[in-house]
Amino acid sequence: MSATAQAVSREESPLPGGAGSGLYGWVATVDHKRIGILYLLTTLVFFVLGGVEALLMRIQLVRPNNTFLSPDAFGQMFTMHGTTMIFLVVMPVLIGLANYLVPLMIGARDMAFPRLNALSFWLLPCGGFLLHYSLLAGGAPAVGWFSYAPLSETPYASTSGVDYWTLSLLILGIGSVAASINLIATILTRRAPGLTMQRLPLFVWMVFVNSFLVILALPALNSAIVMLFIDRHLGTHFFAPAQGGSAVLWQHFFWAFGHPEVYIMALPAFGIISEVVPVFARRPIFGYEFVAASTVAIALLSFGVWAHHMFAVGLGHPMDLFFSATSMLIAVPTGVKVFAWSATLWGGAIRLTTAMLFAVAFLIQFTIGGLSGITFAVVPIDWQVTGTYYLVAHFHYVLFGGTFFAVFAGIYYWFPKITGRLLSERLGKVNFWMALIGFNTAFFVQHFLGLMGMARRVYTYPDLPGWGLLNLISTVGAFLLGAAVLVLLWNIVVSLRHGRLAGDNPWQAWTLEWATTSPPPAQNFDRVPPIRSRRPLWDLAHPENPDPPVGGRAARDGFVVEKNRVGMVSFLITESAFFLMLILAYLYYNSHGMSGPAPESLLNAQRTGLYTLCLLASSLTVWLAEQQLRAGKTVAFRWLLGLTMGLGGVFLFGQGREYFRIFHAGVLVNSNLFATTFFTLTGFHGLHVGVGLVALLILMGLAGAGDFKSGRIEAVRSIGLYWHFVDAVWLVVFSVIYLKLLL
Amino acid sequence: MTTAHFLTTAWQWNPRVIAASITTLVLYGIWQRGRFSGRAGWLLAGVLLFYLTLASPIDTLADGYLFSAHMLQHLLLLLLVPALMLLGLPATPVAGSQSVSQRPGAKGRPRRALAGWWLGMGGMWLWHAPALCDAAVANVWVHRLQYVSLLGMGFAFWRPIVGPRRGQRLPPLAGIIYLFSACLGCTVLGIIITFAPVEICSIYRHPVDRLGILPLLQNQWGLTPAYDQQLGGLLMWVPACLVYFTGILALFARWHREADPPAPVRDSPLTTAPGEKTHAW
Repeated sequence: MSATAQAVSREESPLPGGAGSGLYGWVATVDHKRIGILYLLTTLVFFVLGGVEALLMRIQLVRPNNTFLSPDAFGQMFTMHGTTMIFLVVMPVLIGLANYLVPLMIGARDMAFPRLNALSFWLLPCGGFLLHYSLLAGGAPAVGWFSYAPLSETPYASTSGVDYWTLSLLILGIGSVAASINLIATILTRRAPGLTMQRLPLFVWMVFVNSFLVILALPALNSAIVMLFIDRHLGTHFFAPAQGGSAVLWQHFFWAFGHPEVYIMALPAFGIISEVVPVFARRPIFGYEFVAASTVAIALLSFGVWAHHMFAVGLGHPMDLFFSATSMLIAVPTGVKVFAWSATLWGGAIRLTTAMLFAVAFLIQFTIGGLSGITFAVVPIDWQVTGTYYLVAHFHYVLFGGTFFAVFAGIYYWFPKITGRLLSERLGKVNFWMALIGFNTAFFVQHFLGLMGMARRVYTYPDLPGWGLLNLISTVGAFLLGAAVLVLLWNIVVSLRHGRLAGDNPWQAWTLEWATTSPPPAQNFDRVPPIRSRRPLWDLAHPENPDPPVGGRAARDGFVVEKNRVGMVSFLITESAFFLMLILAYLYYNSHGMSGPAPESLLNAQRTGLYTLCLLASSLTVWLAEQQLRAGKTVAFRWLLGLTMGLGGVFLFGQGREYFRIFHAGVLVNSNLFATTFFTLTGFHGLHVGVGLVALLILMGLAGAGDFKSGRIEAVRSIGLYWHFVDAVWLVVFSVIYLKLLL
Repeated sequence: MTTAHFLTTAWQWNPRVIAASITTLVLYGIWQRGRFSGRAGWLLAGVLLFYLTLASPIDTLADGYLFSAHMLQHLLLLLLVPALMLLGLPATPVAGSQSVSQRPGAKGRPRRALAGWWLGMGGMWLWHAPALCDAAVANVWVHRLQYVSLLGMGFAFWRPIVGPRRGQRLPPLAGIIYLFSACLGCTVLGIIITFAPVEICSIYRHPVDRLGILPLLQNQWGLTPAYDQQLGGLLMWVPACLVYFTGILALFARWHREADPPAPVRDSPLTTAPGEKTHAW
């Protein structure tokens, strides 16, 4: 690093005393590289925890009628194993890798919002701690990672395990959404000159698409969890069929999140493979456009297939038919990817490094998992095997044989960039073969166990011919897999001290992260190489034979946007999805008659209509305020801002009056499902108005402090956008709840 | 009545539909002065689909019998027919190689696109308000108005995506957002219709059996009214979304084609690492 670069990094370092001041430096860091490493280390801890939980289950299942774990303990183990692996390991490890690599791969100095980045990370240990604290507070949740209602309702799950589960997942969900918003803003606004969207490395492209999946899918889970929490703590009955609720709605909400979630856990892994395979086959990826487009296709289709998780519920023939068809359809873009990777390998000068070995194993195992997945699209087969170990085998082939092997490939590939030292290839080979044999031994036999009828989620099994032996084999494989992970840990520890020095670009790779030193300096790059194609470092090394430039010689595409605006718009997208779920729940529960309080007798549509006009007027005033500020008239701006707050306050007052009258009539949130959905929907909207008022108040303070004199008014524009959004949501809510009373 | 008998006899010789189809083809022929490019195939497909929608057994079923057939008509008229016809119009190239933002008409484009989006979504949501849905089946003039407005709104919706003049079109990525949000709107409506316990169009709940085909539909095809409405909702939810989805993929392809390198990327042999053998290509 040159002397000037060092000076720059010290100057811009957010930490007192420079970036490297010990433990405090790590806790208070906002540097994306350090946060990325923190993500990876934290997930490693949870990975070991989740793995131990899995091994405990395998010990219990090693022979028939075993009594190592009680039924309840087994239930807690498979719940914790699933929840831990999905929310505390796979999602954060992928986000962590993206966090470390995306800014480097796009030639940026850091993420778009470094402080938000730190927040997203710290929510992870927070959520993980809450989830595991349940073990001390009366028992972990034992209802599965899907928490099917009504089993997750108070009468059936009376310990506080499910409460910790809901809170923890809510926190983790917020963290993931925040990280995704940050990634979207980073990729859209922080690319180096010349790195147009069509020249993006595929890993970055897939993280980009994946971030949209996260911000659209997570709100479905969050809204369902909020309802479950309200059910458990306010005595309502969203998901209790005996009191008019609907347990199937929980499943719809959960899987509307749950199926996109499968691809949230797969797309970044596809991205890793799309980086590793070309580099070690020494050829550019075959069909870049097809790989990129199939990512978009997968993302879109993933929202239209969730009901295939619910074939056994009995949704009716038409539903089964359509969702069977879409589920088969989604195999097409996935197949396109597998073909593209295989075609890249075909005729390549393959270097079988450990990273490449894991990538090739990924290809085979993911294809097996994908093929067994297609069998679930056939409804009768699904009915037969959905409750068995066949399904367990399937999703472990996708998630372990697929995603985890890709993550291992990524770790071996990028470890030298992160630490400056190569992982030992000798230990790596041991690690790979143990993982390969262990994984396939553990899970391949489970296909047969499932087809023979062994039920999943059950703590033991009867002594039927062959079952004991196959389970024994599976357990042996699981322990071998566990040992493989220990080898990886050992490799990391040894290589950190004694590993071969990597240099900038040990693999002769082509993407930007290899253009800087290993590990990269605080500012990432002193100079970003010119980018005209998808392989800037190839062009740099071969000026006589560069790749043909993609998209002409344009240095910029039409995607240079302001980061605060991108951040706010992404945030509003995820908020819209959240409100959409609440509104759908309202419509669903109120579409048929029920006993008890009804909107006709309780609500005053005329008066609420007037308060609605106040809220709409506030949209106008906040727009005018922005215009005034742009014209430099600070005083008028503050008056209009005050007027906006006043109008917002009047609206909240109106809501308060409405609530007061309803309470006065003896109606509470748990009176019936109308009251429940009414209070939930309007309550959340009111909360958003309140948050908007606080934001406006902050703007007022900033304006008073003269913050906008420089003409940097992005904050005002973003908060204005939020305020318009809150008003627009109310318009929808008003039409859904009140409009029919006026007509 | 058997299925085969029904499918052969339920065609309608509606003179208006025939006249509209033929007029369209003739006008297109005159406009093109008899020289047809490959695009004419799209137009022909559009006209054929238009004819099938309004004169085949689909129309007979939609006329008071099946909500799902009525929905199918909707989707064809709003989503497929206009898109195919617009694709059939010859492209008018824009002179010069101005950048996207300098092309004529670029300024009003977002506003027009927004209007098109609202018309497309409006067409979908509006005609499924229970009152309007019933009125369209009961009154023949409302019925005709419905068809014409669906077609019109369909053209307005698709123009920013597949309009013949490049100046009218949205840039590909904006188009993707346009279609994705439309897909969401249509999904939500489809979900509501699929799960609504009340009938959207009460007329289909108790069909008047003018043709004596009700036993065929309900017993042989298994299309009871509840099943029928679920099917209608699912048609809007899944296949309609697949139309938008196809549009999105097409736009994606267009985006990459516009920026394509002049020649395919070569297989680039090897940066050679020390001690590694070079590979000849």
